[in-house]
Amino acid sequence: MGSDLDRQIETLLECKIITEAEVKELCLKAREILVEESNVQRVDAPVTVCGDIHGQFHDLKKLFEVGGECPKTNYLFMGDFVDRGHHSVETFLLLLALKVRYPDRITLIRGNHESRQITKVYGFYDECFQKFGSANVWRYCCEIFDYLSLSAIIDDRIFCVHGGLSPSINTIDQIRTIDRMQEVPHNGAMCDLLWSDPDPDACTGWGLSPRGAGFLFGESVAKPFLHNNGLELIARAHQLVMEGYKLMFDDTVVTVWSAPNYCYRCGNVAAILEIDSNLTKNYTIFTDSDRNSTNSRMNPQREGPPDYFL
Amino acid sequence: MSSDSVLQNHHQHREGITTLSHDWTMVKAGTLVEKQTLVTIDAETTVEDACEVLLRGGITSAPVYDSAKQVYVGMFDYGDLMTYILLLLKKMEVPLQDQTMEMRDLIQRTNKSQTVPVKLASDLSGKDPFCTVLPETRLGAVVHDFGTGIHRVAVMDAEGTMKGILSQSSTLDYLMRHLSEYPQLQPIMQKSLQQCGLTNGRVLSVNGEEKVLDALISMSTHSVSSLAVLDDQGMLLGNISMTDIKHIMKNLRTSWLWISCFQLVCKIRLSHGVESGEDQYPILDVNSKSTFGYTLSKLQATKAHRMWVVNDSGCAVGVVSLTDVFRVLSGLIDS
Repeated sequence: MGSDLDRQIETLLECKIITEAEVKELCLKAREILVEESNVQRVDAPVTVCGDIHGQFHDLKKLFEVGGECPKTNYLFMGDFVDRGHHSVETFLLLLALKVRYPDRITLIRGNHESRQITKVYGFYDECFQKFGSANVWRYCCEIFDYLSLSAIIDDRIFCVHGGLSPSINTIDQIRTIDRMQEVPHNGAMCDLLWSDPDPDACTGWGLSPRGAGFLFGESVAKPFLHNNGLELIARAHQLVMEGYKLMFDDTVVTVWSAPNYCYRCGNVAAILEIDSNLTKNYTIFTDSDRNSTNSRMNPQREGPPDYFL
Repeated sequence: MSSDSVLQNHHQHREGITTLSHDWTMVKAGTLVEKQTLVTIDAETTVEDACEVLLRGGITSAPVYDSAKQVYVGMFDYGDLMTYILLLLKKMEVPLQDQTMEMRDLIQRTNKSQTVPVKLASDLSGKDPFCTVLPETRLGAVVHDFGTGIHRVAVMDAEGTMKGILSQSSTLDYLMRHLSEYPQLQPIMQKSLQQCGLTNGRVLSVNGEEKVLDALISMSTHSVSSLAVLDDQGMLLGNISMTDIKHIMKNLRTSWLWISCFQLVCKIRLSHGVESGEDQYPILDVNSKSTFGYTLSKLQATKAHRMWVVNDSGCAVGVVSLTDVFRVLSGLIDS
């Protein structure tokens, strides 16, 4: 079993897919681990926190070069592993395999794209169908998405969530009471955690989000939340940042974005947040992998850019 | 304009503020378009180039100006563009007696595959005719027009100078931003959609697998500006609206008219997310138990022109368009 998993990791590291039967097996093993995790998963520093990946496999490999290989470096990925990029399948399966192999060295929390409804629109469903000939792998992955934690907390001081805060949530303990093992609802606390954005213009504290889900929250909401929960920082992802990371609200909220040259055309850099055992924070920037330009030529399964990718 | 009349207008403007500040129906149309940068299209511009103007300006319509005759000849919007495309593709049959002279000219030209100047395509859809109001016209009157389905009015002074375009969207935005100044609007905001009579509408829809072109024909036939895109179980997948036509225009050669409606929904979502750096939820809807005020807030926040009303299972049971919103608000004035 152990050597099978190692072999699968080797295959995925070469950006090659494993079989549908192997995916099913991997998901079963992952479920056993994830079901034990809390809605607010406790993580010990040192750890490297990462934002959206969106199927940009070769840039994920670059991230591992820059941040150090897993499990030598501990990692926390804040969701949005799939959709848009060319290799959502390989990206998610690699991270899942690493989670099964080294469960205490890598933490995966859910992003708004880890959802049946969203992946049908933004590319992951189509990619699964193209690479495996049916929707089975997509279904197995969506079931795993339901088991992913909603958030993480590093040494009780740094709160990590994909989107942001919710008007229904004042304390970390309230998050623990959510029934998370379901498709991301269209509204409510669980939806807000994955969809909200910090907004310096949200003067009255909360505003409806232009995204059509979640809320905009201002400094007058973020600071009391941090204070009431004994936190020093909220780390989140969810929004493209040209400079890779962006601090807001007197450095109490940070957006970390880990997909360089997003969609292979935005020209942004990516970032990771390295937190050492003293909770000292270090932001490392990286650019896209050189392999992206040659990648589509080398992939014989597709002619030209895929339909789901604009 | 002489300095006297400028002063007089200014004086009137100030009078309006001091004596009628809490009655939203008395706000003057001119004040809502004061800081607007106006985009106009020359009448001789080709339809394709006129579309570029709308795309680049991020607007859904623009007045068409005939510089030879020195007069505004109409508005060009995506509804007109859709009618133009359908004509171009000979998918629309318009009986001879219904054709105005300009439409006949247009059809002749499309038959010969010549380029068409936008003056022949403006107000082509027959909906949303060129509607003008004076800067002094009160919002109460404008809102009445909006409630009948007019999406925007051109604010033009007595000399024929265009001051700006006042749309349903920008009016809603103004009212929501200044809601605290107009306490008379509070009661309606608390009412449920059902109490406002907004949950009994028919949902005009298209199946996700149907071709985009068929959806456009359906929109044109039913004289609506959007259709719900549903899956086989009647669950809402997204919507197709007239403003989505701009994407089709960009890609006329790659035949987006023949992809499925769901595929178009995906392509538009993908494109929107990259441009804004944040992905939007594929469906913009409210629950049937929501309040009128919440629905308006969501329309304002998402800049949508309609909210689908869904029941607890996610099936579309109605729609609240900006026209519906203004019909309700104009109903307040009458009562």
